[in-house]
Amino acid sequence: MDFEVTYTEEQQQFRREVRAWLETNVPADVQRTPTSPEDNYQRYLELRAFGRKLGAKGWLYPTAPAKYGGGGLDVDYAIILEEEVDRLDLSLPPYYDSGGRLGSASILVWGTEEQRQAFLPAIYHGEVRTWQLLTEPGAGSDLAGVRTTTAVRDGDEYVIKGQKIFVGSDNGADRIWLIACTAPNGRRHENLSWFMIDANLPGISMQPMELMGTGGEGGTDSGVKQTVFFDDVRVPAFALVGGENKGWTVATTHLELEHGGGGRIGRNRVWDRLLRYCQETKRDGVPLTQQPDVRDSLADIYIKTEITRLFGLRNFYLTYARKAKSYEGPQLSYYRKTAGLWMTGAILEMVGPAALTTDPTWGSSAGFLETQQRNGIVSVHPGGTTDIQRVQMARRIGIGRSTREKAGTVHGAEA
Amino acid sequence: MDLALTESQELLRSTARSFMEREAPVDVIVGLQKVESSLAPDLWKKAAQLGWLGIVVPTEYGGSGDQLSDAAVLYEEIGRGPLPGPFFSSGVLGALTVLEGATEEQRRRILPRVASGERVLTVAITEPNTSWGPTGVTLAPQGRNGSYVLNGTKLFVADATSATDLVVAVRTGDGPTDVSLLHVDARARGVTARRLPGFVSWQCEVTFDNVEVPATALLGGAQRGWAALDRALERALPLLCAYIVGGCQAVYEKSVAYAQSRVQFGVPIGRFQRVQDHVIRLVNHLDSARWATWEALWKLDTGRPAAASVHMAKAVASEAYPEACNAAHEVHAGMGVLVEYGLAAHTQMSRTLFNYLGDPRWHKRRMADALEW
Ligand SMILES: Cc1cc2nc3c(=O)[nH]c(=O)nc-3n(C[C@H](O)[C@H](O)[C@H](O)COP(=O)(O)OP(=O)(O)OC[C@H]3O[C@@H](n4cnc5c(N)ncnc54)[C@H](O)[C@@H]3O)c2cc1C
Repeated sequence: MDFEVTYTEEQQQFRREVRAWLETNVPADVQRTPTSPEDNYQRYLELRAFGRKLGAKGWLYPTAPAKYGGGGLDVDYAIILEEEVDRLDLSLPPYYDSGGRLGSASILVWGTEEQRQAFLPAIYHGEVRTWQLLTEPGAGSDLAGVRTTTAVRDGDEYVIKGQKIFVGSDNGADRIWLIACTAPNGRRHENLSWFMIDANLPGISMQPMELMGTGGEGGTDSGVKQTVFFDDVRVPAFALVGGENKGWTVATTHLELEHGGGGRIGRNRVWDRLLRYCQETKRDGVPLTQQPDVRDSLADIYIKTEITRLFGLRNFYLTYARKAKSYEGPQLSYYRKTAGLWMTGAILEMVGPAALTTDPTWGSSAGFLETQQRNGIVSVHPGGTTDIQRVQMARRIGIGRSTREKAGTVHGAEA
Repeated sequence: MDLALTESQELLRSTARSFMEREAPVDVIVGLQKVESSLAPDLWKKAAQLGWLGIVVPTEYGGSGDQLSDAAVLYEEIGRGPLPGPFFSSGVLGALTVLEGATEEQRRRILPRVASGERVLTVAITEPNTSWGPTGVTLAPQGRNGSYVLNGTKLFVADATSATDLVVAVRTGDGPTDVSLLHVDARARGVTARRLPGFVSWQCEVTFDNVEVPATALLGGAQRGWAALDRALERALPLLCAYIVGGCQAVYEKSVAYAQSRVQFGVPIGRFQRVQDHVIRLVNHLDSARWATWEALWKLDTGRPAAASVHMAKAVASEAYPEACNAAHEVHAGMGVLVEYGLAAHTQMSRTLFNYLGDPRWHKRRMADALEW
């Protein structure tokens, strides 16, 4: 076994190249916490511009097949890219692009060649930002219960009607990766289909939802969510991916990745900042890190972040080495979420009420602890609740149902 | 033994409940979350008319002098909102601190106006070191021509932006408990109160910039402040706990109702054992907080030694409320984080009260001390 990636001289050279490139191309101060709605939008535009530059080099989606505009890079190179971007507190893509990540992966597996050519390059080049639209008022955990968003075939088009909630982010989208019901009277699991559509079509409107969480662009989550309405929206039949009423099969790929099956490598940013905060903050003249109670709590928090990292590392390895997976995806998701929720309590007890305020004098820097206090709770729900992750784990371990369930396919057509 | 509420307590409960349903439904509570001052003037006036602000103030000082357990019935109902506002800060902790710490003349001057809601008190103890003990009080006034001059900061002071009067704990000697209490006009020149932003409910920064207060502002005698605060806190804390119990109760009821009505996979989600587990975890926290609180109240009302029970109640309640909210969030998933639904107001309040007047660890240690282990 070897837990470390060993790099060749050529790869080290690549790292130097990446680092130098990032130094000149990352927009100044793009990691800032926006100071106003205008600044928030401005920052989004900067991230998008940066995304397009990355995309032009194939570095936005580094392992995606080159023939569709991805980087076509080996995993070792992708790791280097991820690490270098992570060093700057950014990720790939540097803005919220859930529909791009999950939609492109699903299209690689289930789309036709024409669809891959039509949809993937714009995603991989960063020309479009895509949201994923699954949840409806009546269908959250029960994704197979999607009913109210319907798509009815009409000649060469589908007509979409309905409503999605808890979706998207701030600053709008260019495309939408949508699951809808294409057979209202059809059988469960045989009545859904996926569509990759333009987000600016007539009949699409949205309204922001006010949530307890915070945070905007960057990373895989967004603190801002929308209700999206579809009022007789006409889309070309070509937008349907994976076959009519085959949506449940396509969803296995989407969900496997969303539930953590792809894994993750990288630092835990909250941990790094928490440790620094505890080293720099003194109580009764002594740094928090030197107080026995705090040390105990920090040790517990550290262990949870390390286990999360190890599960992410393992899943990443299983994915790129094409090894068989079973419960590992939902396990990562479950562990990460429960650890995050538990940590809200541990941090509040350890740091005290300073963890709750964004005040520049009395809170943590840029209020990162306050963000954790909110988002540690909110993040328990997206992409399948912890309960659903446990249901999945049990089924895949072989104790949930009479037949053991398999992990979803995440490997698509290769370059 | 009789663990039931008395008839008059039942009556108070139903009056308070219908007041809350009428005056402070979810949309009002959600709307209040963003305002700088927690005091909603209309609501405050109506509550004053009902005698809520003088409920623990003895009759000779213009209150109704009810037992703590009567007041607890009220605070449970207020906590269900959770209704913000300096009810506890002024009507309980402020009033009891004046009652325990002030001279007879000062009590007669201050308390009737607190009971009527005309004046709003808050007690400023904590400083940037966020310690809840007497040694954390370092703000030391300077003497000038027989008056006190204050320079410094009090932090995480509840409801200071709606207070008219501050009771400020100040250091006046080198001994650990050499603390005195000063009665300071919150609108005096040099006093600034500011609500702290974030996931915290009406905890404020109060700064004193060359604030001069007369010698008569000293409540009671010098160096007697901490002992007075200790006595006041012993009786006030269980009412804060009652507010928390009300919060847990509301969160529980919301969760049960949601588990019964939300349908996924063709059945109400309450059928899923995982959802049942969340609700059961929640009700265990609720009941722990409730019974720990009520026994402490009973001990206080019947003159029994109560310190250990009071500290236990605050330790248990402090932990129960955030845990109850976490469980409720698991039950509700997306719906629970939607601000307009109202659960988030509890979640934020539960985090705020976790530390307020001492976190669980602090109270567990005081409990152990009180039990003389
Ligand atoms: C911040 C945030 C971001 C989100 N982002 C997106 C997005 O980008 N796109 C999108 O489509 N959706 C998004 N969602 C929606 C999210 O996917 C749903 O909230 C989630 O799937 C849960 O659905 P629900 O909220 O309807 O809860 P419900 O499904 O109603 O669940 C309620 C409770 O029942 C439990 N439960 C349900 N079924 C079972 C079962 N079979 N066994 C045991 N327990 C069960 C749940 O665990 C939970 O405790 C987001 C949500 C949030 C909060």
